[in-house]
Amino acid sequence: MLNLVTLHELVLGIIVVLIFVLILIISVLIFSFFRYRSLQHRQSWATIIRQIITDAIVEGTEPLPQDTSFSLYLKIPSFRRYFLSTLVSAERKFTGKAREEVGRLFKVFNLEEEAWEKMRSKRDYLIAGGIQELTAMRVERALPQISDFLKHPQRQVYQEAQYAIVRFKGFEGLFFLDELQHPLSDWQQLRLLRSIEEVPDTHFERINVWLGSDNESVVVFTLRLIGQFQLLSYYPEVLTLLDHDVVMVRKHAVRTLQNLENKDTINQLLAGFANQCNQVQLEILKALKASKSKQTELFLQEQLWRHPDIGIKISAAEVLMALGGQSYLQGIVSSPETSSQLTQIVNHALQEKKC
Amino acid sequence: MLILIAEDDELILRTVEHKLLKEGHEVLLTRNGKEAIDTIKEKNVDLVITDIMMPFASGIEILSAMRAFGKKVPVIVLSSMGQEEVVVDAFDLGAADFMVKPFSPNELMLRIKRLTNSLS
Repeated sequence: MLNLVTLHELVLGIIVVLIFVLILIISVLIFSFFRYRSLQHRQSWATIIRQIITDAIVEGTEPLPQDTSFSLYLKIPSFRRYFLSTLVSAERKFTGKAREEVGRLFKVFNLEEEAWEKMRSKRDYLIAGGIQELTAMRVERALPQISDFLKHPQRQVYQEAQYAIVRFKGFEGLFFLDELQHPLSDWQQLRLLRSIEEVPDTHFERINVWLGSDNESVVVFTLRLIGQFQLLSYYPEVLTLLDHDVVMVRKHAVRTLQNLENKDTINQLLAGFANQCNQVQLEILKALKASKSKQTELFLQEQLWRHPDIGIKISAAEVLMALGGQSYLQGIVSSPETSSQLTQIVNHALQEKKC
Repeated sequence: MLILIAEDDELILRTVEHKLLKEGHEVLLTRNGKEAIDTIKEKNVDLVITDIMMPFASGIEILSAMRAFGKKVPVIVLSSMGQEEVVVDAFDLGAADFMVKPFSPNELMLRIKRLTNSLS
């Protein structure tokens, strides 16, 4: 027997659906209202905080303690967190006295606890944020706790800890490279390198350890470090890395040799050229281009004519062009015996110069 | 002296504004490149301080526009790390000086003073 819905039940059903829709609409409205209010707060907070930072930078003053409205704001935890994040962002925008003033505001308003609280959190992004804030505000006594995060399983956290330690201690902070298992990303390497101002003479033996590391990213980072600080005494060690198993290391060894260039460098690069893979050979050709050494012309001509790889031929033609071999290249193009492929390659190099 | 600042970062904009006001200059604030170009066209500014990367038109476009409508006003460019090539372009287009961010507002004031002294 069919169960027919009575009119009464139908009306009830419609009412239930309507109530549900109404509740949904009210919830969305309440949510939007609070979101709007929070955005409004943020905007007004941003103006107040900006004013305080600007005044501190320009006038070197902080708001007086009797500024009651500001004191009231300072009692709101979300305001304090927002204030701290704005100070950290301001710290990245200025140097000199202005940066010092930003640091002074951090102390005057006692915002350190906010950063510590974040670092004590269970969430990775909050821990990383806390480390970042304590580092930006130079809270050196946070170093032992930050060091503990070097072994944290999450990349976001341990990378922030690495950066913090190097910002505090400079070259000495790189001790974590001795046992680093994770790869050091390119971005992280650049961040670390930018935080190092000098390499003290007493720590040179450490560099040897890193050059022999099983972690290829540590070797690459060390090569970049040697190049950046022109550590000429490492030339022989860098040269041996042209025989390293990892292509990336060999490529960076070429770049570093270029940074440390002496009268033998070009010949040493040419001597090992034939044994290298195409990627490293291209890197060597770039180094030859940068060195502008005329002694490589014959070698480059040979690569242009005989190398089996088109990429290398193109690069050799470009380097020849950069070294002033325009007439030689034009001679190749005008010869009727030149293959169409070689003509195209040389035309490309000639065109590059015009561009 | 009437100085125009073109900068989309509100904190930098306000800080430089306050510094310049304190030094006794008049200041015009613009928050994007297009607004800056329009203002430079309309007003007779004595100096321009511009960021390189901005919405609607870059600092380079401001310099090109100034050249196009024949405004010979000294320009100080604020660039970020890694924008060296753009700075070279800026100098080719007539920029008088540049500073790399993060920067010291005090040093910026010194450069403005040096620039205005050399002009006078």
